[in-house]
Amino acid sequence: MTETSNGDRRQLDQFTRRSLLLGGVQAAGLGLVGWRLFDLQVMGAHRYGPLAENNRLNLQVVAPKRGRILDRSGRVLADNEQVFRVTITPAIAKNVGGVLRRVSRILPLTDDEIAKIVARARKQGRNVPTTVASDLSFEQVAHLNLAAPSLPGINTEFALRRRYLGGSALCHVVGFVGSVERFTIDDDAVARLPEMRIGKSGAELGFDGDLRGAGGTQKVEVDARGRVVRNLETVDPVAGRDVTLTIDSELQRLVGDRLQSGASAAAAVLVDIQTGGIVVMASAPGFDPGAIAGGITAADWQKLAQSEDKPLLNRAVAGQYAPGSTFVVVTALAALEAGVLSPGERIVCHGEYEYRGDVYRCSKREGHGSLSLHEAISSSCEVFFCEVAARLGIARLSAAARALGLGATWNFGLSEEKSGLVPDPDWKRGNLNSAWLGGETLLTGIGQGYVQATPLQLAVMTARIASGRSVVPQLEKRDGISGFVPLGFSEAHVDAVRQGMAAAVNEQGGSAEEAKLGAGRPVVAGKTGASKMFIGYEPAETPRYAIATVVERGNASAALLARDILNFAVDRADHAGGKSPQGGGVSPTGDDTGKAG
Amino acid sequence: MMDALFSAWSTSRPLRLSDKLWRIHWPVLLTACLLAGIGTATLYSVSGGSFQPWAERHTLRFLVMLGIVVAMATVRLEVWMKLAYPAYLAALAMLALVPFAGSEALGAKRWIDIGPISFQPSELMKLALVAALARFYFQLPPEKIGKPQYVLAPLVLIGVPVFLTMQQPDLGSACLFVALGLALMFLAGVPLRYFALGGLITIASLPVIWSGMHDYQKRRVEVFINPGMDPLGSGYHITQSKIALGAGGVAGKGFMQGTQSQLDFVPEKHTDFIASIIGEEWGFKGMLVLIAIYALLILMMMIMAQRCENRFARLAIAGSATTFFLYVFFNLAMVTGLVPVVGIPLPLVSYGGTSMTTLMIGLGLAMSAYVHGRAAGR
Repeated sequence: MTETSNGDRRQLDQFTRRSLLLGGVQAAGLGLVGWRLFDLQVMGAHRYGPLAENNRLNLQVVAPKRGRILDRSGRVLADNEQVFRVTITPAIAKNVGGVLRRVSRILPLTDDEIAKIVARARKQGRNVPTTVASDLSFEQVAHLNLAAPSLPGINTEFALRRRYLGGSALCHVVGFVGSVERFTIDDDAVARLPEMRIGKSGAELGFDGDLRGAGGTQKVEVDARGRVVRNLETVDPVAGRDVTLTIDSELQRLVGDRLQSGASAAAAVLVDIQTGGIVVMASAPGFDPGAIAGGITAADWQKLAQSEDKPLLNRAVAGQYAPGSTFVVVTALAALEAGVLSPGERIVCHGEYEYRGDVYRCSKREGHGSLSLHEAISSSCEVFFCEVAARLGIARLSAAARALGLGATWNFGLSEEKSGLVPDPDWKRGNLNSAWLGGETLLTGIGQGYVQATPLQLAVMTARIASGRSVVPQLEKRDGISGFVPLGFSEAHVDAVRQGMAAAVNEQGGSAEEAKLGAGRPVVAGKTGASKMFIGYEPAETPRYAIATVVERGNASAALLARDILNFAVDRADHAGGKSPQGGGVSPTGDDTGKAG
Repeated sequence: MMDALFSAWSTSRPLRLSDKLWRIHWPVLLTACLLAGIGTATLYSVSGGSFQPWAERHTLRFLVMLGIVVAMATVRLEVWMKLAYPAYLAALAMLALVPFAGSEALGAKRWIDIGPISFQPSELMKLALVAALARFYFQLPPEKIGKPQYVLAPLVLIGVPVFLTMQQPDLGSACLFVALGLALMFLAGVPLRYFALGGLITIASLPVIWSGMHDYQKRRVEVFINPGMDPLGSGYHITQSKIALGAGGVAGKGFMQGTQSQLDFVPEKHTDFIASIIGEEWGFKGMLVLIAIYALLILMMMIMAQRCENRFARLAIAGSATTFFLYVFFNLAMVTGLVPVVGIPLPLVSYGGTSMTTLMIGLGLAMSAYVHGRAAGR
């Protein structure tokens, strides 16, 4: 230790010297800050003091007005209403209770309420305004402003509140707005505004960028009482754009009532085949969007969000269902295209189908006997399509399903949109880590097993079969949508499937007979999936609307639901001036007509 | 080799727990309590006279950390020395991971989530850098300190985290690393000619640094030079903060009477801009007292460092003191508009768990160094 002590001593001396130097730098740094504070607080007090005290310059951010949401004919589904509220600032009022008692001559305030407001104001800082009442009428505001000189600290202000005029029938499509949860962007002063609302679901969320607009600023001079003395500079906010939807709100309301009355959980989608426009997108049960916009309590929100029948879920785009027998139209088209089935070929159904030791039963236990494709679609024979799917293989089957729009999302404006599932061996290996089994191809062929689709996808699939074109759904109404590109399937093959669907509704004993609209009305073509699902389009010859209905719970028939909705749609079109292309209900297509009458 | 080094300074008989507690520099901890108390009072005022949502949590957080400081003080110095390099490497690895695993907040990725805890690796790095540099100079024989290769090595220790934090981008932390690292090298005895050379190189390379900055960083510097060009963004922060300070005047408006802050004119008033609230409510006098308390704390810690013989202990304490100084200086300089808005809180006063943890663990390290780094009886 003695050897190193000299070096240590030198080291320690150097450390002390340098510590002193560093300490000097630090002292200089703090001194600099101190001098700066002296400059700001002592020398600058006369400059900054008045800014804060007497005539405060206040730069206020002004929230933009949110754009409206309209239906296809311009009916307003969502807009903004002005609500007035009144606040009191204790520092200015001095005697809060006394001022409030004077206010109670204008507003109905009980002594109890006044006591509560006084207690609340006492807990806050004296300069923080406390809300006295909201939802004031215009007269009340006018009276308050008239009496302002005798009511120090009282301030009236107005805010815009979202209003939903479509009711619960449109709640899922239109969606709702809510507060900004956290400041997403560092310098986004507009998002920080307490009254700022952003889309949380439905079109409010999907078109939020269009609806929101851009904030403005207002530079104002405020006096010692916090009142605005004058406006110095105003940069107006840019209002959000109005968004016009393809939805027919009147029709949707009819559909909504029909859904509510018949089933505890159901969805229906009606698509305009020419434009892809979604005319109806209904989901039941729903909720009251006005209650959410008006400020819902946490307890009520929890009840809504955790309710077993999921009223917040838009089943039309986010409900994923096994398509069942509605899927056989895909299997049929794929088989015809692949050449493993010819339109005239007959297959015998004995009521069950055996495949590698497994037995698949048909819905008709005694069997359908010998069937053509036409009859198999019409009578919904599972055995027929098991055989066809076995010949086809999963690769060609899943390719056709995708070509018809299953497994896809279109990003048309609802972020709730789910993709459903078109299974194939790659998907199974990746997600379930096991090999594809031959029997699963059969299950897929009759719409069971892993395959899932949303009602919207089923409607789009139907529209694509009806038109032979690659229809893409739209929610925002746009002009000049040119025709969609052809799907690339042989017209003869697609037509064979269409004929089968027409027969299912219109021929004696067809499995979808319930969907027939009635004498003198347009002819419907369609396909059921048990009693819980229906896809179809009308009129059969010159397709205009494609529909998909799904009954998730309740004992309503999906085909009857579709019939009523299509009847509503036909009535609406007739009212609109009879420009509808249907030709009066007489179908010229051979033997179908004879049995339809 | 390390054992030999330890034996050269370690005391002949091991310290008992009561000795250790006796050796703790309690006035320093008392000063820290005073600062946390100022924080609690200000947070109470900012939330309009309520312990919620900030004041109560701030107090609890500080008390927990105070317990940790005392506990850390009883841990032998060898433990921290052995931990120094691994901690540095771990912090470096986490900094490097941020771009991939980090969660984005406010336009920059700085946080890492591990289970329910999320923290900023750059905060951990502030501690690790002090420990690693102290550890480096502890082992380096004094005659080698001035050799170029031994000047380069600590520069690399500083440079790598600086580079990584610039990528995030977190300019404030990068500046802090540079200042902290250079201060420690200076204290360790690196010859002054290197600092002169470094200064010249920095001035020459300023244009390159400017072109390498992110747009938002450039904008902050530009806004700093001319606050009027962005009245709603960071220029707004500075302008409103200055008005709050100026409105406070010499005597201040009194506790809970600040209108600028109470009326929400000052953003981030409970975190980075809390000093403007203190300045408005307690005036220039209050700010002088606040600066004096910080100066006292830093001075006491620098004196603590002088009383240690162990070089690791000296540098660890001085490093911790310098961290305090840098936080205080950059925060007050930011609030008064002397430097651009960099996002550095006021130590122990601002609300926020990460900086409190960093500073208190640094204090714990310094306290352990002080307890164990002195010969018996001193």
